[in-house]
Amino acid sequence: MPIKPLFAKGPSLGVRLLVFTVLSAALMVVDARLTLLQPLRAQLGLIVAPVYWAGRLPVRIWDSATQELSTRSELTAENERLKAEQLMLQRRLQKLAALTEQNVRLRELLNSAALVDDEVLATELIGIDPNPFTHRILIDKGEKDGVVMGQPVLDARGLMGQVVEVMPYTSRVLLLTDTTHSIPVQVNRNGLRAIASGTGNPERLELRHVADTADIKEGDLLVSSGLGQRFPAGYPVAMVSEVIHDSGQPFAIVRAVPTAMLNRSRYMLLVFTDPRTPEQRATESAQAQEALDQEILQQAQPAVQAAGASAPTVNPPEAAQ
Amino acid sequence: MMAARASNIWLVWLTLAVALLLSVASLPKFMELGRPLWLALFLTYWVLAVPHRVGMTTAWCLGLLADVLNGSLLGQNALILTLITFLVLTLHQRLRMFPMWQQSMVLLVVFGLAQLVQLWLNALTGSRPPTLTFVLPALISALLWPWVCAVLRGLHQRVGVN
Repeated sequence: MPIKPLFAKGPSLGVRLLVFTVLSAALMVVDARLTLLQPLRAQLGLIVAPVYWAGRLPVRIWDSATQELSTRSELTAENERLKAEQLMLQRRLQKLAALTEQNVRLRELLNSAALVDDEVLATELIGIDPNPFTHRILIDKGEKDGVVMGQPVLDARGLMGQVVEVMPYTSRVLLLTDTTHSIPVQVNRNGLRAIASGTGNPERLELRHVADTADIKEGDLLVSSGLGQRFPAGYPVAMVSEVIHDSGQPFAIVRAVPTAMLNRSRYMLLVFTDPRTPEQRATESAQAQEALDQEILQQAQPAVQAAGASAPTVNPPEAAQ
Repeated sequence: MMAARASNIWLVWLTLAVALLLSVASLPKFMELGRPLWLALFLTYWVLAVPHRVGMTTAWCLGLLADVLNGSLLGQNALILTLITFLVLTLHQRLRMFPMWQQSMVLLVVFGLAQLVQLWLNALTGSRPPTLTFVLPALISALLWPWVCAVLRGLHQRVGVN
């Protein structure tokens, strides 16, 4: 018998590499282009939460240790600050009730789709993507809590991003500042529309294709416009920090700072928006309004009923939908 | 006795699980750019130490797990780790004879190549990391190699994986 070969059985190294490369490439293409592997991924995702939990253990221990050791004066200072903040928020809340009521009434007048309030679900950050070039985080709510693909996520100050992968008990969220992310926004002051794209810097968004003459200036608040039909309209997104007019460039360079604390927030909200399309919503609210008008008309004119019995009627089942 | 020694493959899996954990553990912001390639380091050691037990199949499966953890395309890390294992297996006979610093140099090249492929794959999916920083993890991994090697060898000899 000659010298014992290193690999007594199986094909040669090169062949194996080829096989595995082809297999990986096929998997990547299928994963990127088709939804075939989605259920498999979701099930494999079960292992994600415990691993990230264990990975963050040192940070958690450190956090709780510093909390234990924080001095009395620090705590009092924080308490003072929170009290002041609460007072301010309560003042705003007083106005809010009146404003909401007014808003609803005006929308009724306009017959427009009512956007009264969205349902939200609180969630906690459990992990951060280890790749420093992508801005993605892991949250502790998943398919079992009703999370769906593309769902918007916000913190106390503004929009943070959207869900890009749903696993049974966790989901992955792509943040606004990732280089692959863009969000349709409008300037709160005058309604100017634009697209805010991520730059890979957690403190900066850039507005694409803003004309040099557009009315936009430093300090303008950008809110989501809801035009992409992915994010709900009206949530704060960013504050314009810089507008540069360069005559050598075809468009103005507009930079903005996200209002959400993208790399500091621990607790977030998942927004459940209406699953209906805006057209459906508009039609349905119009129908409901029409039904209401009819009702009022009929109540107001019981005496005239006898004279003109052929008033147009709305199908009750349709109106009830 | 022999059967008990042969079954000590669990140590390999345990250390690889630790490597998976380390690869997603939180790091301070400034260290994230240079996060060592823990999976590649641990895998390289076991491929060099017990090539008849740990090979490209192990690397591929481990890579799939890493893909699920990182949320990258299924097969991306699998391809990278298989490539590293292939290179290490090809250089295996020479690499074992080299002194430690020379092993580190060779591994720097191997990991650098792997990072380059990683960069290409990332570019295909749309996220392009800028500049040359993608080499940093390879450099740090190569510098860490002597220590990783020493720790794993200690464990290896104590438990006696065969």
